[in-house]
Amino acid sequence: MSTIANPLSRTYARPEALVGTDWAKQNIGKPGVRFVEVDVDTKAYDAGHIPGAVGFNWQTQLQDQLRRDIISKPAFEELVGAAGISNDDTVVLYGDNNNWFAAYGFWLFKLYGHRDVRLINGGRVKWLNEADKPLTVDRTEVTPVRYRASEPDLSLRAFAPAVLEASRTAAQSLVDVRSPDEFTGKIIAPPGLSETAQRAGHIPGAKSVPWSTAVQSDGSFKSAEDLHEIYIVKTGLDPKHATIAYCRIGERSSHTWFVLKYLLGFERVTNYDGSWTEYGNLIGVPIER
Amino acid sequence: MSHADRVYEDVFEMMPSLENPTPLVRLRTLAPKAAFALYAKLEWMNPWGSVKDRAAWALLLDLEERGELKSGRSLVEATSGNTGISLAALAGARGSGLRAVVPNKVPLEKKILLRIAGAQLEVVSDELCPAPGLGEGSINLAKTHAKASPDRYVMPNQYENEINALAHYRTTGPEIWRQTQGRVTHLFVSLGTCGTVTGTARFLREQNPRVQVIAVQPTEGHDVPGLRNVSQLGVSKLFDRSLIDEILEIDFELAYTRALELCRREALPAGPSSGLVFEGARRVAERGGEGFGVMIFPDNVFKYTANMAKHIPSLMEGTQL
Repeated sequence: MSTIANPLSRTYARPEALVGTDWAKQNIGKPGVRFVEVDVDTKAYDAGHIPGAVGFNWQTQLQDQLRRDIISKPAFEELVGAAGISNDDTVVLYGDNNNWFAAYGFWLFKLYGHRDVRLINGGRVKWLNEADKPLTVDRTEVTPVRYRASEPDLSLRAFAPAVLEASRTAAQSLVDVRSPDEFTGKIIAPPGLSETAQRAGHIPGAKSVPWSTAVQSDGSFKSAEDLHEIYIVKTGLDPKHATIAYCRIGERSSHTWFVLKYLLGFERVTNYDGSWTEYGNLIGVPIER
Repeated sequence: MSHADRVYEDVFEMMPSLENPTPLVRLRTLAPKAAFALYAKLEWMNPWGSVKDRAAWALLLDLEERGELKSGRSLVEATSGNTGISLAALAGARGSGLRAVVPNKVPLEKKILLRIAGAQLEVVSDELCPAPGLGEGSINLAKTHAKASPDRYVMPNQYENEINALAHYRTTGPEIWRQTQGRVTHLFVSLGTCGTVTGTARFLREQNPRVQVIAVQPTEGHDVPGLRNVSQLGVSKLFDRSLIDEILEIDFELAYTRALELCRREALPAGPSSGLVFEGARRVAERGGEGFGVMIFPDNVFKYTANMAKHIPSLMEGTQL
């Protein structure tokens, strides 16, 4: 995948997709390695970021501002090119809340065909709590380049019709990664969030595995053995069976999508980015609580 | 300076100490058993109205002594209000400032008080979907400022700085020991940064290992500003479970109703966290036996009028034209 050495454990299915904080530090400023921060809290990047990192705002830059959708291929090309990222660069993503939106950014880069994309294990919180890892408020100077994206790889993305069919026929597994209170319909969304739905509950047939089950207290992912135990042994998901992950707006499910695809090696796993804010607003679809 | 006459050359001389303790007041109406005396330690009698004056003052002095506030550096701290209010006011009077990073759920009264005390305010989203050890947005953002802009900011970090607990080991604990003449049998405290419980309990246990330390926490998903449920204590590095005999989890709505009872029947203007601490003490006293309980009442009700009305809607009756 890349010539850049990655010393992380090989027990994950595709360990090259994950880099440690030490690896990231060693590669600051290295030609061909570009750091990209994507946060839930859009103030975080301005307060301090990895030297040389660019920051993408998930609300205004990764989403289409007119219709509800990810940004278009031309918009993605413009965004990434303007950030000085070339098609051959190694893109290293990180962010707050244990990489929620960094994982969403990872998914988007993969959807548009970027070859070498990685996630910093533990994200921003782990970096912040390690004394030797620098942060800066210095503006990152970039030289815009021409970036060419591929047509979107729809094998990574689920839409509502496939989700409804999965629920009806069990042709695909569904995994709900929201909090238990969202899954059981006690609440529609975490308090204070503007994106919500008309109805509470979950998609019939979905299994509940909150995203945070996959992480350790320092923010990094649990070991391959632990993840195998959680998702495959206890929850009964099958790596050979097509699987759809969903949450509220598609960011927490990107995190689980990454876990299933890159750490556990699920062959066909998609992110339903419409998630509960689409499903919970649809007329007439079945809901369980 | 004279504590007897209460004449001071500046406000700093008023800071609580063994010679100038906050008052200890016995509950006369609401204590359930005569044999189990309950005394409230009125931390709102501190200059900026809360127990946090103690930690803020100690943290500030420590930074000054270590030369961390030279060349125009300001403090940056994550705060649910009281620490920030104290820090901003005290730092302002000593020539530096505070950038206070506060969760959005903090009551408006506290946010305005932070501004009144001179803080620069930065409000961040509340926890979206808690994960173990994730920390909170406000703490992480304050840490980010301190790490990315060390020329501008230094972070006292009340959640991890041992000075916070030391402030209580040096003042709150010795005050209680002297005020009760060593008769204290139970200490009742709420949990936030855990500086109060850790420092006070450590001192009292050294004097008498049999002192029972009871921590009171609101139920999960609570709305009691400044307090933490044990599930939220991952960020509080000062939490030392070995110093606590029992943790009582109490329906957070009782924080409000008990505070109201303290106001109306004891003439103590107790805030919701004091109400919660009182409910914990009341339950332990009701078990029977003799006791001499000291309850730390962190602050008064004056900055919680909106929260009180939210949880006790009848308080709104007769307030409109």
